Amino acid sequence: MGHVSQTALLRIVVSCCGTLLLFLAMSLLWSGRDSSAQSGNPGPPVRVPSNVAWTDETTAIASGGNAFRGLLLARRCNHCHGEEGFSSDPAFPNLAGDDRLSFWKQMQDFRSGKRISPLMQGIADGLTARDSADLAAYYSMLPTTSDPQDRRAFPQTKIWDPLRARIAIRLIVFGDGQRGIPPCQSCHGPVAYVKGAPPLANQNGGYLQEQLEHFANGNRTNDINLRMRSIAGQLTEDEKTAISECYGAGLGPGANPR
Amino acid sequence: MKKKIQFVAAITLLALALLSTRYHMVDLPVWHFFGGGQGPDPTTLHLRGEFVESNLGAAEGPAGSLTMRMIAQQYLFVPQCIVVPAGVPVHFRVTSADAVHLLSFLGTDYGLKAVPGAVTEATFTFDKPGSFKIPCHEFCGAGHSAMRGQLKVVPRDQFASLLPGERRTCGPR
Repeated sequence: MGHVSQTALLRIVVSCCGTLLLFLAMSLLWSGRDSSAQSGNPGPPVRVPSNVAWTDETTAIASGGNAFRGLLLARRCNHCHGEEGFSSDPAFPNLAGDDRLSFWKQMQDFRSGKRISPLMQGIADGLTARDSADLAAYYSMLPTTSDPQDRRAFPQTKIWDPLRARIAIRLIVFGDGQRGIPPCQSCHGPVAYVKGAPPLANQNGGYLQEQLEHFANGNRTNDINLRMRSIAGQLTEDEKTAISECYGAGLGPGANPR
Repeated sequence: MKKKIQFVAAITLLALALLSTRYHMVDLPVWHFFGGGQGPDPTTLHLRGEFVESNLGAAEGPAGSLTMRMIAQQYLFVPQCIVVPAGVPVHFRVTSADAVHLLSFLGTDYGLKAVPGAVTEATFTFDKPGSFKIPCHEFCGAGHSAMRGQLKVVPRDQFASLLPGERRTCGPR
């Protein structure tokens, strides 16, 4: 009896050790394979779209601004972007209710030259990362409700073509699965947001159209992992116009009722 | 009594061996989890490593081998359109920038799961020339239903006649 149980014990111990050794060998093999694959051939020169990466530290810096300090700093932005964060010219973006991370990333990209704008680059050069975070905090707190006293360009009273409206609402709400175009509202709100995506519900149409065209023809390349370049590159001229007109007319989902 | 102790010890050892693989936490092959966190950081893919945007798409190795690097992210595959020659084994290296995604190559039997923080590898051979859709087959968020890439399988001589940039991807570069 004792002899049999000893054999059984030996078997169990050997099988357990064998399993562990097998896993160890597999892991060693795998790690060796990984390193050899990474040090293989050097690809084309590295192109970095933006120096900003949404690590925990960056997110904390970008979202931890002081809104009161931002209020004081924002006086130099008022001329173009409006005193209430709504600009009087549709070519300039509205900043009221903007996302903190998105605002901060754009300012960093203006400073590092990853997003090219002769106007904004000079202004952003005079701000530190902390100033940008303060401004982001201020603008994210501004109300987006309409104010008849203000000289805002939004919402625009543009010719509203019902055919274009159907195209726009379809793309904003459902996207186009056949071409792999995700719906606008799944990243830019109100359904869901991804980190660094600005809300579009209260944005000027002229600005949106310009940016879509810049993404499509490669003038603007600061989107992380080719996100907007892949999408805007597939949109037709008609669709770009339709989407920007829809948001610019205050008819996008999540816009405040007039 | 002795038998009982042996039985309990054996079961404990077996359970420890299984739990050490952490197989119950994620549905990936166990060897991905040894050597903890050697994969690329999903937040800094665009800054360094093999998944920077100029390195995505097909890269041709010394012996005519083809390595396809792709990122899956909410709600796009990058590059969104890829070209491969028919009948040539293509080595895929795929990672995710946010959630778990799954590339399912429609019209073939192949599928690849993209996991943040890990590189999924597989070698596929596409024999039939044509255009195939690559929908995301793992619910990944609000835009999941419209997340779709494209695979173009072209005859081998036609692939050789493409320009280097066109061989890398057929989407925006």
